[in-house]
Amino acid sequence: MAGITLTDLSKVYDPGGEAVLAVDDVDLEVHDGEFLVLVGPSGCGKSTTLRCVAGLEDVTEGSIRFGEDDVTDFRASERDVAMVFQNYALYPHMTVRENIGFGLKLTSKLSSTEIKAKVEEVAEMLGITELLNDKPKALSGGQQQRVALGRAIVREPAVFLMDEPLSNLDAKLRSDMRTELQELQNDLAVTTVYVTHDQTEAMAMGDRIAVMNGGVLQQVGPPEEVYRQPVNEFVADFIGSPSINLLSATVEGATLSGPAGFQYELSDPTPLEGHNRVRVGIRPEDMTIGEDSPNRATVTVVEPMGNENFCYMELGTTELTARIDPTLRPTEGEDVPFSFAEAALYLFDDETGETLKAKTDAEASVPNRGVDLETEVSN
Amino acid sequence: MRDQRRKDAVWMFGTYTFILVMTVAMLVPLYWMIVAATLPQSEFIQFPPRLYPGTAFFENFAALQDRMNFVRSIWNSVFIAVVYTVLSVLLCSMAGFAFAKYEFRFKEPIFYLILATLVLPIQLLVIPLFLMMAQIDWTDTFRAIIIPWLANPIGIFLMRQNMKSIPNALLESARMDGATEFQIFYRIALPAMRSSVAALAIILFLFQWDLFLYPLVILESSANYTIPVALAGLEGTQRVYYDQIMVATTLAIVPLAILFLVLQKQFVSGILAGSLKE
Repeated sequence: MAGITLTDLSKVYDPGGEAVLAVDDVDLEVHDGEFLVLVGPSGCGKSTTLRCVAGLEDVTEGSIRFGEDDVTDFRASERDVAMVFQNYALYPHMTVRENIGFGLKLTSKLSSTEIKAKVEEVAEMLGITELLNDKPKALSGGQQQRVALGRAIVREPAVFLMDEPLSNLDAKLRSDMRTELQELQNDLAVTTVYVTHDQTEAMAMGDRIAVMNGGVLQQVGPPEEVYRQPVNEFVADFIGSPSINLLSATVEGATLSGPAGFQYELSDPTPLEGHNRVRVGIRPEDMTIGEDSPNRATVTVVEPMGNENFCYMELGTTELTARIDPTLRPTEGEDVPFSFAEAALYLFDDETGETLKAKTDAEASVPNRGVDLETEVSN
Repeated sequence: MRDQRRKDAVWMFGTYTFILVMTVAMLVPLYWMIVAATLPQSEFIQFPPRLYPGTAFFENFAALQDRMNFVRSIWNSVFIAVVYTVLSVLLCSMAGFAFAKYEFRFKEPIFYLILATLVLPIQLLVIPLFLMMAQIDWTDTFRAIIIPWLANPIGIFLMRQNMKSIPNALLESARMDGATEFQIFYRIALPAMRSSVAALAIILFLFQWDLFLYPLVILESSANYTIPVALAGLEGTQRVYYDQIMVATTLAIVPLAILFLVLQKQFVSGILAGSLKE
């Protein structure tokens, strides 16, 4: 077992003389036994960071330590890490048993009976005992995934690395495997770095999540903290589904003026000091529609989710989303008043994207329920 | 609709007729060779020719073996071709793997240089090779027949193209499992490429089996002759022993037929490898 420390980690790719900075000066500490999720959009450097930790990529600058050991110059096989790949990377000509036992056979000093026993133990843990003699081709995606996990677990590595391991599974299986993976990680208590572009997965699984963009580490923290206290507009926008509503506004004293006549007056204008323009953010669950308000937006689509409805609206050219009670069904094209509490408001610097004000009130995140609305009766 | 169906039927009939004609055209010489091997010389040259097998196969064979040790030549050919195929498959696969999956300086120029050697005909290489072999005193040896051809450009090209289809993640996964680079090649890449290896084996075996001019120049004692060299010796200056030549050629295709039958399934899938995304 070991924690992972990345110090000033940079990775430059140089294909055909054109340098691309994939990872830019990343400092990150993963605690011993922690489940850390690296999340970000495609090409943000998360997979490259993981591959550097795995030893599959050379590091351009900086260092990687496992516990006290500097492993920067170690080869992948010397690092005592196991990795689960997005496409599972099972050896096609080997049976499940051989696939799982391959690493042990090569590196451990165990006898073949001991290896057999370990493989069977892991297979039982993952519920794939009856598949041990099958080839990967005969398995379903979910089963292949389990074999890939088994191959990682059986070696009892100091660190688990997972590169979007669930992205090839269908939605139902994905959420089942998510839970299973978490339970497994809890039981084994092995330091795990998990890469995904899916922020829902990140929120659901991580002890902490690390958000990356453009090779730069944006924020590291527990999911709740990253969601509620994003350090900048990118993090606020990336984390949360549906995404946060964002609009540009000019500042006059304590009043924000946005597109299509949007006006909002702050009781505490301190965060606005020194700014002429800001970006305003409101989480969809903090939007209330139908209550008396001078701000109105046009409903474009209402998506029923069963337990709630997503109401998409337009404010000028800016799109807004509200998570509303399932009994509320405003009709398309209708102008509805919308409002939100000041405590739920986010403000970001117009140029740097830095957070000027985050959500402050815990109650503000509770979606509005049972609001009396004229449109309620429609449909 | 009906017109289309009729057109399809005509097209199909034409296609099958063509295939049938081609098949017959290819099988007739083969059949004739086998029939001729069973006939005495007198019946072989008569007109109209006799088109069904006779009973003189073993007499012909005995006469052939009497004139030269042809069984020995078959053994020589099999030995050379098998050893060559095993070594060359290994070497070409390793080279193909390196070109497909590793980065090193001058990778592309080296690869194209290897491909460029394809334009050199064997006839051009025979004399320089003979001189080299004579210098190191390898003439009249099997190793002189085997070793110079081990690095086969077609083999390297074929394996490079096929090895490219192995996902990198598979190799990386083996690397993380603690495999050395050679283990990755030997235990992951090579087995995953089984059908390409079979196709390559047949190509290389055939190449060595058919090699004539070079062994003719290198081999001196008749005990070392390979089949093509021995066959050439059958065309005497006085008289051509067709019956014996036919027995010899019939026997010469037997090992090839066995090899192809054994590897047929893999050979076909190897040729088609990469044509369909599975």
